[in-house]
Amino acid sequence: MSSDAYFRCEDVHAWYGESYIVQGVSFAVQEKEIVALLGRNGAGKTSLLRTIARAHQPALKGGRIWLDGQPLHDMAAHEAARAGVGLVPEDRRIIPGLTVEENLIVAQVAPPVGWPLERLYEHFPKLAERRRQEATTLSGGEQQMLAVARALARELKLFLLDEPYEGLAPQIVREIEGILMQVKAIGITTIIVEQNAIAALELADRAVIVDMGEIAYDGPAEEVMQNAELRQEYLAI
Amino acid sequence: MSGSLVNALTLQVITGLQLGAIYALIALGLTLIFGTLGVVNFAHGALYILASYAAVLVAGHTNFVLAVVLVPVFLFLVGIVMERGLIRFFYDRPHTDQILVTFGLAIVIQEALKWAFGANNIPFPLPPWGNGVVFLHEYLPFLEGFVVFPKWRLILVGVSLLVVVGLFLLLQFTTFGLTVRAGMREPDMMRFLGVDVTKRFAVVFGLGALIAGVAGVFGGPITQVSPEVGMAILVPSFLVVVIGGMGSLPGALVAALILGLALSFSAEYAAVQQIVVYLIAVVVLLVRPRGLMGKKGVFE
Repeated sequence: MSSDAYFRCEDVHAWYGESYIVQGVSFAVQEKEIVALLGRNGAGKTSLLRTIARAHQPALKGGRIWLDGQPLHDMAAHEAARAGVGLVPEDRRIIPGLTVEENLIVAQVAPPVGWPLERLYEHFPKLAERRRQEATTLSGGEQQMLAVARALARELKLFLLDEPYEGLAPQIVREIEGILMQVKAIGITTIIVEQNAIAALELADRAVIVDMGEIAYDGPAEEVMQNAELRQEYLAI
Repeated sequence: MSGSLVNALTLQVITGLQLGAIYALIALGLTLIFGTLGVVNFAHGALYILASYAAVLVAGHTNFVLAVVLVPVFLFLVGIVMERGLIRFFYDRPHTDQILVTFGLAIVIQEALKWAFGANNIPFPLPPWGNGVVFLHEYLPFLEGFVVFPKWRLILVGVSLLVVVGLFLLLQFTTFGLTVRAGMREPDMMRFLGVDVTKRFAVVFGLGALIAGVAGVFGGPITQVSPEVGMAILVPSFLVVVIGGMGSLPGALVAALILGLALSFSAEYAAVQQIVVYLIAVVVLLVRPRGLMGKKGVFE
């Protein structure tokens, strides 16, 4: 692990109440790199992502997390967001009672602000069409687009994507993949957690496999694609 | 319909509006605080009566207009201090703990007022421009004969309307309001978007207290000014919140109106009036367990 990595976790331990979920995880991500964080259900991937975003739960009880020289481990969730962390949570967390546009505007209340609305609508024309619609009435795929757009409405140094393809029809998955490819082209440092490991590996430069709360593999995404034994052991695919 | 019946009905509706107006003012603050912070603030009635006492003092030494300006600001600051000094430590605690601590605080405020001003009612003189009556028959041509209504009570209805409209505009058309509405529904997501929800919520608590301040200034002359009034007014106001649906601002308004009208129309039957509020609560909660406009997952 490079000590001057753009982003790094050093011996991170996190707990959900009495449950010891993230058990001494260390890994690093270089600037503009896309890392697929993989593992079986319950391996602790989502918990690790939430820990990095400094969510209230799970509670970080040990270790350090650095982003571009900033100590995320000393920050609350809103401070981490202001330091450049953008999380698209597993269940998207589209805010009910707000329109599509309001969901984007609330993302720009706190600095630093990312893409302006016009640019977001250019990249997400479906959202532009539905800007006045209550956001929770959008389809699953559209809500996922909104969640990604909302993250891009902020200036990102680290983009955390939790299960972006979950529960979506294959056609919508391809659409979201297209959007994430555009994000990749822009060069935003990204960590993606995804049950659909193949889809995540296609997008990623590198793979980190989490097993029982620990890192079981850290290497090129290409190698996981080609190593059936590794995939079978840790990903059951 | 005979003229006297129309007159009586009109008066009862206006009385209902006036009663509803005061409950609405208190319930709005209560439900705003509950909806945003998830805190059941049983000290809200005490804030109301604290405002009434403060208004008596300020108006007595200066004039009523200054009380209208200063007392809500004072209550806003009291709210911020309360939230920062006490309430914020109870956000993650069960509602029962929150009720206990805010109820305790209400008793402390009540007893402090008793110590400072005595247990009896103190007079709250109306400003000269608020005295007297309004000749309703001059404005409502369908009324027959001579029909009057106390001017101050109509002013209270007007003030309530202003507060409701002001709060609606603040929540619907400002960035602060947008953040508060979003924070009411998804506080964690708002934190992931860089918003220090807790800090904004302290302002919301202050805002709830400010509304109680407005209610205390204008409602004081009607509900009277004695230490126990806070607790007495809290119960029906809390019922308004429950009937309207915990955390729902429009729900609180509708419920306040219904309760005000029910109290007004049952006024002739004292025994019924005592229980009508509770009867309405029982019926509404049997039919709609979350209240009239309550949302799933709130207070569950």
